[in-house]
Amino acid sequence: MKKILALLLVACMIIGTLTACSKDSTSGGQGNGGSASAATNGRPEDHVTLKMYFHGSNVSDDTQVLAKVNEYLDEKLNVTLEPIWGTWGDFDNNAVLAINGGDDVDIYFTCSWSADEYNLFAKRGAWVRLDNPENNLLEKYGKDVWSLLPEVLTNGAKIEGSDGFGVYAVPGYKDIACQLCWDINVPLLEKYGYTVDDIKNTDYYGFGEILAKVKAGEGENFFPLLIEGAVAERMVDNSIIVAGDSGATNLLSYYINPVKTSDKGAYGDVILNKFATDEYKKYVTKTREYYLAGYIDPGLANAEQANNLRSEKQLTGQYLIGTQSYSLGYETQASAERGFEVAFVGTTPAYVDTTSSQGAMMAISTASKNPERAMMFLNLLNTDPYLFTLLDYGVEGIHYTKNDIGEVEFIEDARAKYSPWTNGMGNVTLLPPQKGQGADFWTKFKAYYGAADQIPILGFTFNSDNVSNELAAVANAAAEYALTLSVGAVDPETVLPAFLKKLDDNGMQKIVDEANAQLKNFLANK
Amino acid sequence: MKKRIGKSRLGKPSIISEISFYLILGMFCAACIIPFIFVVIISFSSESSIREIGYSFSPQEWSASAYEYVFQLGDQLWRSYFNSFFVTIVGTASSLLMTIMYSYALFRKDFKFRNFFTFFAFFTTLFGGGLAPTFMVCKQLLHLSNNYAALIVPALISPFNIIIMRTFFTTSIPEELIEAASIDGSGEYKTLFKIIIPIAKPGIATVGLLTALSYWSEWFLAMLYIKDSKYIPLQYLLMKMQNQADFLFKNASVIGVEASKMLRDLPSASLRMALVVFIVVPIAFAYPFFQRYIISGLTIGSVKG
Repeated sequence: MKKILALLLVACMIIGTLTACSKDSTSGGQGNGGSASAATNGRPEDHVTLKMYFHGSNVSDDTQVLAKVNEYLDEKLNVTLEPIWGTWGDFDNNAVLAINGGDDVDIYFTCSWSADEYNLFAKRGAWVRLDNPENNLLEKYGKDVWSLLPEVLTNGAKIEGSDGFGVYAVPGYKDIACQLCWDINVPLLEKYGYTVDDIKNTDYYGFGEILAKVKAGEGENFFPLLIEGAVAERMVDNSIIVAGDSGATNLLSYYINPVKTSDKGAYGDVILNKFATDEYKKYVTKTREYYLAGYIDPGLANAEQANNLRSEKQLTGQYLIGTQSYSLGYETQASAERGFEVAFVGTTPAYVDTTSSQGAMMAISTASKNPERAMMFLNLLNTDPYLFTLLDYGVEGIHYTKNDIGEVEFIEDARAKYSPWTNGMGNVTLLPPQKGQGADFWTKFKAYYGAADQIPILGFTFNSDNVSNELAAVANAAAEYALTLSVGAVDPETVLPAFLKKLDDNGMQKIVDEANAQLKNFLANK
Repeated sequence: MKKRIGKSRLGKPSIISEISFYLILGMFCAACIIPFIFVVIISFSSESSIREIGYSFSPQEWSASAYEYVFQLGDQLWRSYFNSFFVTIVGTASSLLMTIMYSYALFRKDFKFRNFFTFFAFFTTLFGGGLAPTFMVCKQLLHLSNNYAALIVPALISPFNIIIMRTFFTTSIPEELIEAASIDGSGEYKTLFKIIIPIAKPGIATVGLLTALSYWSEWFLAMLYIKDSKYIPLQYLLMKMQNQADFLFKNASVIGVEASKMLRDLPSASLRMALVVFIVVPIAFAYPFFQRYIISGLTIGSVKG
């Protein structure tokens, strides 16, 4: 009996290992022409259902929208769409499970920062290569969308994957550039005789005089400098996030050129330990000075509450200068939300980095039975204003109304039950502008983002697999010190050296070396 | 267990040791109850107080706005509340039935495959299937998605409960009883339901409480298999709010402007704490109900593991 049990145990373990390994091997031979009858134009004959997994949605009632969407899709492509409305909370876990489990989902949201990370899962063979020479879906069914996307996106989507170097997802056309800005409370600034130009003409190290005057005028409980520690550090130092860095507390910095972002920055093409540079030291020392002078709310050093506190103070105008990542038109939106004039002053021009160019994409799963139809659908979704508006904004008259100049006004109750995440859906330039954006919003949008420069290391994503242990240990150390240092709540004279030592003890240098080796390799192949 | 050595040692412990034991127990009780009191206090704190001084035992200002907001959640709240109760009651009942039948079979010495099935249950405690294969089997093979079965079936059988139950049977039921029953003409089912189960009530209550607790606090299954908000239990509703807040907070820099707006729309901390209160209170009331069985039930584990 015992022998039989032992044998059984061994057998189970072997089978377990085998099935785990062979999971992906079946997915290679896609594109067997299942719906070869499909003509490029015109409605294909066989009816298929496409399942599409979205991120960040807040949808509790989609019946009215889907009825219209499917009526339209049936007529155009003979397709029924079954969306899966992933939320911020469950997408990462469930989408990865669905992919690994070979669920019959046809299209997944993917990007450089979600758990089903674009590059990683392309290497694992989870996505269909769209420009595969043997079955070039992009060429056959996706020409329209491809020709309409800016080069930054089409280039950014070309990566090394399981079927060679190529395109594994259709990028969404959204705010593709990144710009960090000082968020200025204009009425308050003008009350003390300054203008936005005074902010533009100085920098963080020159804010002291303005801050002092406002602090003196507004009293003890007013904190004029409302900074998000990590963001302020990047703004002041002109450092940016390296894609693939530890998510919770970034450890690595790449310095960009604050005047022309496509040129080399202060350190050239090198990735640095964020906390060990002279710039960082200078920043934290100055921030400590501001903190001690009472310009920064101590609550901002509390990781639990900092974000709530910041958005609350922004809303009520309890600040003079804040930090904000910007997207075009946000000043109008923010001014309307907060009820006073808000101005944004960028510290660098808008630039395109890996995170923003691969910020939202739609990939066809290798488990899909109808990759052709999925590509046709993606092409239609990203080129057809009626379909895209319907799927994102809902039904006109139920979820929104249009005013005289064609701007959209949402009907709050209905919209609360149907709010997909716009930027995760695809080509947002197909949408009618929202109230206050102005009829020519998308022209401005294309001009603003079209003019954005690409940083020299665009496309680079740090792969931390080789140093994952060190990364976890270092991230823990950083979580302990980084926030309090970056808002000035502790004295950098004593804390910074202790912090740096702790980082070194936990293998920070190994991470930096690994990142630079990968970067060198990346630049050589580019 | 060792035999008692002398009566004097057991008779009365010294006052000092008694005091110190009470102190230790008291501290342990405090450690259990204080977090919950803290949650209740936070749920009654005003938002501005939380913002100003953070979580605190003595907030600057009290407010019931979180509870008002909870009641405004309306349909979804009551629907989820119902789901939690439904899943817990149906799940516990069916899980108990399964556990009793499985462990009773293992308890019977005349059952031929007794060893095999003991090992079969025990094996899964050592080697689980892993998340992805389990997910595949449940979702694709058994179609456990968007229905109540998805919340109940995966947690029906717990090897740990089977072992407790079987141990309870072996320690509290003399085999002669079964023989006597069969001589008197009782069939197998009648023996189990009319004779064994009434005797084993304390054990069943213990296992029942454990099962009810695990069904009540289960949210992971809902996250995996439930997309339709009709079937979401209250626990997952809370978990969703928490996860969304965490995710948005972590990724605010990549999502950009939209994230700050979305964070603002999320329910506040005091609301989440109010939901915790909603979740804890019903199950806390289940304890007294089970209590009279529990004390006798708890000794099972200590006699034979």
